[in-house]
Amino acid sequence: MLLGIDVGGTSTDGVLMHDGALVMSVKKPSSREKLAGTILEVLDELLEGRDPGALRRLVISTTLVTNLLATRSGPRTALILVPGRGLPFDYFRLAPDTYFLKGSIDFRGQVTEEISPFEIEKAVAHIRAAGIRHLAVAAKFSIRNQAVEQEIVRTLRRLYPEARVVSGSETANRMNFPRRAATAYYSAMTGEAWEEFVREIREALRRRGIKAPVEILKADGGTMPLEVSRQNPVETVFSGPAASAMGAVALTRRRENAVVLDIGGTTTDIALLIEGEPLHASKGARIHGRFTHIQALALRSLALGGDSVVKGAAGGVEITAERAGPAACFGGPAATVSDAFVVHLNLDLGDRARAEEKLAAAAAGSGLEPRAFAAAVVDQTLERLSRLMQEMFREWENEPAYKVWEIVHRRSFRLDRLVGIGGAAELVVPLLAEKMKVPGLVHRLAPVANALGAAVARPTLTVQLYADTQQGRYLIDREGIEGPIENPASFQLEEAKKTALDWLARLASAKGAGEYVGQARVNMAEQFNMIRGYSRVGKIFRVEVQIAPGIIDAFKGVSD
Amino acid sequence: MKPTGILFFPAFDWAISPTHPEREERLLYTRDQIFEEGVMDLPQIREYQPRLATPRDIARVHFCVPSIEAVTTEAHLVSAGGALVIGDAVASGEVKNGFAIIRPPGHHAMSVVHGNRGFCNINNEAIMIEYLRRRYGYRRIAIVDTDVHHGDGTQEIYYHDPDVLFISFHQDGRTLYPGSGFVEELGAPPAVGTTINIPLAPYTTDQGILLVLEELILPLLEEFKPELVVNSAGQDNHYTDPLASMRFTATGYAQLNRKLAPHIAVLEGGYSVETALPYVNLALILAMAGIEHDNLREPDYDPAAFKEDPGNLARLKRMAALQRENFRRREEEREAVRKSGQDFYTATRRIYYDTDNIHEFQQVRQRLCPRCCSYRVIASAAAHAYGRQTRVLCFSIPLACCSACRDEAREAYIRSREEGGAGFDYLYLQDRPADEYRRFHCQREQEVTIV
Repeated sequence: MLLGIDVGGTSTDGVLMHDGALVMSVKKPSSREKLAGTILEVLDELLEGRDPGALRRLVISTTLVTNLLATRSGPRTALILVPGRGLPFDYFRLAPDTYFLKGSIDFRGQVTEEISPFEIEKAVAHIRAAGIRHLAVAAKFSIRNQAVEQEIVRTLRRLYPEARVVSGSETANRMNFPRRAATAYYSAMTGEAWEEFVREIREALRRRGIKAPVEILKADGGTMPLEVSRQNPVETVFSGPAASAMGAVALTRRRENAVVLDIGGTTTDIALLIEGEPLHASKGARIHGRFTHIQALALRSLALGGDSVVKGAAGGVEITAERAGPAACFGGPAATVSDAFVVHLNLDLGDRARAEEKLAAAAAGSGLEPRAFAAAVVDQTLERLSRLMQEMFREWENEPAYKVWEIVHRRSFRLDRLVGIGGAAELVVPLLAEKMKVPGLVHRLAPVANALGAAVARPTLTVQLYADTQQGRYLIDREGIEGPIENPASFQLEEAKKTALDWLARLASAKGAGEYVGQARVNMAEQFNMIRGYSRVGKIFRVEVQIAPGIIDAFKGVSD
Repeated sequence: MKPTGILFFPAFDWAISPTHPEREERLLYTRDQIFEEGVMDLPQIREYQPRLATPRDIARVHFCVPSIEAVTTEAHLVSAGGALVIGDAVASGEVKNGFAIIRPPGHHAMSVVHGNRGFCNINNEAIMIEYLRRRYGYRRIAIVDTDVHHGDGTQEIYYHDPDVLFISFHQDGRTLYPGSGFVEELGAPPAVGTTINIPLAPYTTDQGILLVLEELILPLLEEFKPELVVNSAGQDNHYTDPLASMRFTATGYAQLNRKLAPHIAVLEGGYSVETALPYVNLALILAMAGIEHDNLREPDYDPAAFKEDPGNLARLKRMAALQRENFRRREEEREAVRKSGQDFYTATRRIYYDTDNIHEFQQVRQRLCPRCCSYRVIASAAAHAYGRQTRVLCFSIPLACCSACRDEAREAYIRSREEGGAGFDYLYLQDRPADEYRRFHCQREQEVTIV
C-alpha cells in the first residue's frame, strides 16, 4: 500500500493506493495551527482497521514552510555575506539583519582579499546581543572556493555554539550569489520549525507502529526521506503544485508534452510537462520576490476558477476575481464561470434552472441574451487560459541559450495533451482541448490527483560538478564536497561526467534515491580550453547530472 | 524607470581556431562574473536572446564575395542578430538602453567582404544601424568606437555618409593593427568632418582617455545632436590586454560609459579574457544601468599605479582642439566641394585581410550631388593566397539618395549587367531606399535578389 497526503491551503487530502487502485481517499479542512495534527487525522482515517505493516511508503506534501514564509512568521535570522568585489554591497541586503564581511574570491576561486577574524567576532557579538539564533552564511564565488565560507561557519560555531548556522555551499552551491544567499537564509529561518515538525511526525508514527519509509515532497516534484529533509527544509516550499503536477504525470504516464490545469475555486494553476516531466522554473522558486536556488515548477496562475463570479459589462462579460460562494447551480448566491459552462453545454449538473436564472440576472447589464452571455463567458475563459498557455510555450522556447547550435536550432513547443485536475476541470478542459485541437484528459481520479502525486512521486537529486584541471580539483554543489583530479593532463569530459555521476550515486544512496541512480541523466556538460599565450594550460568543465522527477517503479499506473 | 537590456551571447561553441584569441573561452569568466553577481535577476536589467540576422539584413550593408554563405558562419548571423535584438529593444522603448555582449566581433568588416580581417567578417553595428534606420526611421547616428584598434570597417562604411558621426579613439596606427585611424582621415568630401580619429600613444591611461571624452567626444555629440549614440565597445584598452599596450581600467570604462551614456553598446574586441573582460563587461553593465561602480575593480588594481604623462595630456588637448575645429569647419568644406562642380570623387586603396591573408585593391567613386548624399561605386579586386582572384563591382545607394541619383545608379548597374559584367566576376546592387539587394554572377549571367 502507498499512502500520500497533500496539505493544501483549504483542505488536506489523503489517498491510499493498492496495486494501482484507489483504496480510499480522505479530505479534511486544513488547519494552520495544527498542521501535523490534521496530517495524522487523515493518516489515521486511511489506516483505520488496516495493518500498518502493509504500508510500503508514506509521502507528505506540506505547507509548513510555505506558510511560515508567506506569513513572515519565521524567527529573526541573520544573513552574513562576503560579497567581495562587484555590485555595491547594498544590492545584497536581502534581509533586515544582513552583515557584510570583508574578503573576496574571484571566478577561479582565488582569494583576492582575506577575511578578517576580528570582523567575524564583531558581527557575532552584535548578532548575539540582538538575540538572533539563526544564521546563514554566503560568500560570492564560494562555488569556486568553499573554504572561505567553511572557515566562517567554523568560527561562528565556535564563538556562538547555541546558534544554528547554515551555509550556502552546503545547501545549493550553484552559480548566482544572491540566489544562494537567499536559499541559505530561508533555510536557516525555517530549520527550527521544520525540526519540530519532523520530531512530531516521527514520534506519532512510532506510536502507531508505522515502519514504512516516510518521504517529504519537494518543490521540484521529487521526494526526500524525512530525515534528509532536515538538511534543507526550504526545498519543501510550494510542494502543493508539484503534488498536482506529479498526479497528472501518474495519471497519464506518457512521455509527451502536456499542460496541467489545476482549476480550483478562484484560481487556475498551469504547469507544463515536457516529455512527461514537470518543467522547472529556470530562475528557481521565488520567495518574497527573491529568486532562490530551490528547484520548483514553472507555474503560472490566473485569477480565474470555477467559482469566479461573472457580471455583465457594457457590451460583454466581466469575469471577476471574487468568489461569493459555490456556483449557483450548487446553491451559490451568484452566477459563476461554472454556471456559464453548465448552461452553455446543457449539462445536468446541480440545479441548471437556478444557474440560468442567476446568469440571466448577471447578463442584464450586458445587453446579451442569457445564452449568448454564457457563451461569451465560456469564450473568454478559454481565451484567457489558452493565451496564458501560449505565453508559457513561448517562454520555454526562448529560454536563455549561449551556444550557436542552440540558437540556430531553437526548439518549438508541440502540445500533445491537456490534463485537467481540480473542481472545475471537468467543465472547462474538454472545450479548451477542442479549441487547442489536442486530446483532453480529466481522469476520474483527478479530484485526488494531488495526494496521488505525492504518494507515487519518486526521489529526485541534482548534482553539479565544476572542475578546473589547471588547479587539479573539482567541486560538487552540495555539502561542501570537493576533491582532487588525479591526472589533470588526461582528464576529459567523459571523466568529468563520470565523477559527477559517481557523486550523484553516493549522495543518492545517502538520500534515499539509490534505487534510481541507474536512471540518472546528464543535463549539461560544458568544457573550455584555457589558453594562455598560445598554449593550453588546462580545462574547465561544468557538468550537471540529475535523477529527474518521475514516478516510483512500484507504481505501474492506475488500474481501471 | 525603464530597465537596461542585456543580450549575452558568448558563442560557447565557436572559435576561429582552438588557440585563437577569438575562442570559446573568451566570455567564460564574464559569464561567471555577471551570473554570479545575479545581474540578470536585477529589476534594472532585462535579458534578451539573439535571433539570426537575415541575408537581407547583411546585404543592406555588405557586398559579400562571392556570397553571404561563403564568408559567414551561423555564429556571425547570431552575433549580428543579437545586435538587432538589442536595437529593437531600444528603438521600441522597451528599455532605456542596451548592451549586446556578443561575439564574433565586427568593426573591422568593411562594405566589401572577401573574408575575415581583424577577427571580423560582418559589421554588427552597421548591420544594426541600417536595420534601425530602415525600420524606425532614424537618420542621424553617432558611433563612438572605444576599441583599442581603429574601427576601420565602420569608418569605411560611413566615410561617405554625413548623417553618421563616426568617432574612434585607439592606439596609434603606427604601433598597432590595422595601421590606420589618423587625424587626417576626416571623411569623403561630401561627408568631411563626420569621421573623427584620435590616435592615442601607447600607455595612455584613464586620465588621457577621459580627457578625450570630455574635450572632444562629448562636445561633438552635443553639437551633432544624434538621435542614437552607439558605443562600439572594445575592451582591449585595458592594462592587461595581451594584444595592445594601453592602461585603461574597469573604473575608467565605467566612467567613460556613464558620461558617454550610449543608447546601445555592442561588444567588439578585448582579449584579456580572465583579468579584464569580467570586470570591464560588468563595469559597462553597471554604468548603463545607473548602478554605482565603486565596489568594482580588478583584484590587482592600484589607483596610483598609472600616472599619465603630462606631455601626453598636452598633446591630447591639442589634438582635441584640432579635431573640434575640423568638425566645426565641415559645412564650409562641403560647400566648397559642392561649388567645385566636380561630378565624382574618386579614391583608391589597398586593404589587407590579416586573418585570411587576402590582398584587396579598391577604387571607390562617389557621385557628388548638390542635393543629396549620393551613391558609391566600388570596384574591388581580391588576391587570395594560392592565386585565386575575384573582381567585383558594387553599386551602393544610401537611404538619403535623391531619386535622380538613384535612377542613375540603377541604370549604371543595369548597363554593366547588359555588358555581361564588364570584366568583373560579380556585380552587386545595394538599393537601400527600395530595400532591394541583388547580385549578378557574370559568367553564368545569373541574377539573384537577396532576401
